[in-house]
Amino acid sequence: MTDGPGPGLEIEDLTVRYGDRLALSSVSLTVAPGEVVAIAGPNGSGKSTLVRSVATQVLGARGCVRIHGRSLEGLRPIERALLVAWMPQDEPLGDNVPLADYVEYGRYAHLARWSGGSSTDRQAVVNALREVDLTDFASRGVLELSGGERQRARLARALAQDAPVLLLDEPTAHLDVGHQLDVLERVRAHARRNRRAVLVALHDLNLAARFTDRVAVLSHGRLRTVGPPADVLSPELLAEIWGIVAEMRRDPSSGLPYLIPRLPARPLPARADRPRPFRVHVVAGGGSGGALVRAAIERGWEVSTGVLPLFDSDSELARELGVPAAVELPFAPIGPEALGRMDALLETADAIVVAPFPVGPTNLVNLEHLAEWVPRRPTILIDHRSGERWDYAGGQGESARARLVTSGALTAPDVAFALRWLAERSAPSGATTPSRS
Amino acid sequence: MRVLTGAPLPENSTLRPTSRWRTGGVAFALLVGLLVLVGISALVGSHWLPAAAVFGILIHQASGGWLGSACGGVAANAAQCTVWTEVVWGARVPTILVALLCGAALALSGATLQGTFRNPLCDPFLLGLSSGAAMGASVLFTFQLALAEQATLLPLFAFAGALIPGMVVYAAARRFAGNPEALVLTGVALSALFSALLATFLFLNPSGGLQLSFWLLGNLQDQTWTRAGILAATVLIGGSLLVLHGRELNVLQLGPEVAESVGVEARRTTRRLILLSTVVTAVAVAFTGVIGFVGLVSPHVVRLLVGPDYRRVLPLSALFGAVFLLGAGDLAQVIIPQVFLPVGIPTSFAGVPFFLYLLYRPGSRAR
Repeated sequence: MTDGPGPGLEIEDLTVRYGDRLALSSVSLTVAPGEVVAIAGPNGSGKSTLVRSVATQVLGARGCVRIHGRSLEGLRPIERALLVAWMPQDEPLGDNVPLADYVEYGRYAHLARWSGGSSTDRQAVVNALREVDLTDFASRGVLELSGGERQRARLARALAQDAPVLLLDEPTAHLDVGHQLDVLERVRAHARRNRRAVLVALHDLNLAARFTDRVAVLSHGRLRTVGPPADVLSPELLAEIWGIVAEMRRDPSSGLPYLIPRLPARPLPARADRPRPFRVHVVAGGGSGGALVRAAIERGWEVSTGVLPLFDSDSELARELGVPAAVELPFAPIGPEALGRMDALLETADAIVVAPFPVGPTNLVNLEHLAEWVPRRPTILIDHRSGERWDYAGGQGESARARLVTSGALTAPDVAFALRWLAERSAPSGATTPSRS
Repeated sequence: MRVLTGAPLPENSTLRPTSRWRTGGVAFALLVGLLVLVGISALVGSHWLPAAAVFGILIHQASGGWLGSACGGVAANAAQCTVWTEVVWGARVPTILVALLCGAALALSGATLQGTFRNPLCDPFLLGLSSGAAMGASVLFTFQLALAEQATLLPLFAFAGALIPGMVVYAAARRFAGNPEALVLTGVALSALFSALLATFLFLNPSGGLQLSFWLLGNLQDQTWTRAGILAATVLIGGSLLVLHGRELNVLQLGPEVAESVGVEARRTTRRLILLSTVVTAVAVAFTGVIGFVGLVSPHVVRLLVGPDYRRVLPLSALFGAVFLLGAGDLAQVIIPQVFLPVGIPTSFAGVPFFLYLLYRPGSRAR
């Protein structure tokens, strides 16, 4: 049962219906012996259903699953268990039996009713314990193991089953980072050494990229794409399937891709009565706008910012978060081109927030330029902390702010106040939304 | 239940020799207890007979007349010896056998039900199987009075009666998965219903008043060799089949899905085990009435002694149940002089505190 000549696991046109709900829609996938394939996808995309319908007889499943060319259709559990081993995501704890006995449960299909277990069975248990590095715990009760040890014990039970196909559903759930890497490394080594076809449902795309040969991406029960992690995982795919913005980098040593998720750039789903998300423009600098920008994004508003000097901490943040920003070269005075870009952003903004940024000769023009926008857009200025020195432009900063206030801008004592004010503006009463002309 | 923590496993060794010794020790102790209790039980009864005569009769009869003399040489004359032999071999020995077999049947049934339902509070009495069986058997008394002594029909009627709660409990277990108390409440409700029906039937029976208390609280007295034989056949066959399912019950503790994935046909096995438990319970109840808590207490005591592995829990529970019920039967006879209490009274005195302990112990819902 070790090195089958056949093509490992073949899933063909698998469709699973739970009542009216289509949980899987004609999924086809093969896993070769020695290969580890990850199933990725958002919650509810059908990962567990796919694994489960290969592992057990699932009512409402149509399609064909073959292992080494042999169809699983109509096999009794004891015959199926010789072909497929499964580690489900969750299972009852069971009794506090010694670990070795627990791992031996995986040998059930191999044992005859009358025998107490052959030396092959005992050897399989010993090997499985060694593979998960729990040999020293063989006589310990399973309920006395730590979470990480118990997860490895469950893996050992599946390994002891000695089946050509191994199905793992979130094997790294409840594990710390060290144990996540450890368990997946052991799985991969086991697959290579024993020529097992391994299908593993994984939430963590970075683990999938690191430990699997191919990634199959499920969305709404359909197989969207399958291929090597470096080909499949892309910022576009993540935005499309998971709705997140992620930056993709490549590990220079291994060449493997890894992802750094950012806050959602996609606004929350538009409501019927507010077809377009609320747009806020934040004038900031020197890190003064960070908290506001983050908070605004979390509320589902669209945010723009500027004018900021390139490499300013606020402009770095804007770049990371994917916030459109009008930027100027560092240490240069803000020029007409940058101001033009800010005008374009202000044109589509519903409100303007001026963060308490330090004002100097290079960015004074930010405040001066806003004077012509205050009558056209609701504007709020966040006060500087009292006693804080912020005007490095010889009093011109103070007077520019004062001019904005006299033109109709409001002032807010802090960020929280400004956010509340913005929240009121964003409410879909219509009256507060300024006309855009 | 914290057991069997110990030294690491040396490679290729058989697993945990210590626990095997322990299992063997417990089995040996129970067997010795059983033999001692059998001896005591043969001496206990409404008439006091000389010990030498009792053991003489036992040896003489058990060896088919090959060993010893008829009454150990103690009887005054042949007529007395005939009476004594009738008392010991014709009444006491079948009663002892029925007590042993009935205890084994109830304990096995309890262990199996606890395992299949993954519920430590299960037992044929608490789930209503016993009252259902007693109700079924009582139908025979009420409507087929002439056949009432036919030992073969009683178990059949009892089985028919026990099937009803058996099926209800099976359905309830699937509905109340993860809620052990709900299953037991269902059983207690069924039990109350069938006890009421049983009482009704027995009152309809002209001579029923006499039987009622014994049916409701269990009676080991007045057994015959026929009954002991039928019970022995059922318990030996049904019990052996149950004991052979230790490995399946072990795996079923991980839930039906995991069980299926390693090769156990979870649903079919569960149904088969419940059916077998119902059969052995029904035959035991048919001859002795409703005896509570033997099935609850025995598996738990055995688990405390040898751990949760059903391959050991099942046979040792049977042994423990046999000893427990025989002891309870002796106690019921001697605790109040000249009064034979129903055997369900001492088992309830032992079982109810145990049940409450299981209900209130910390983490009892954690399974």
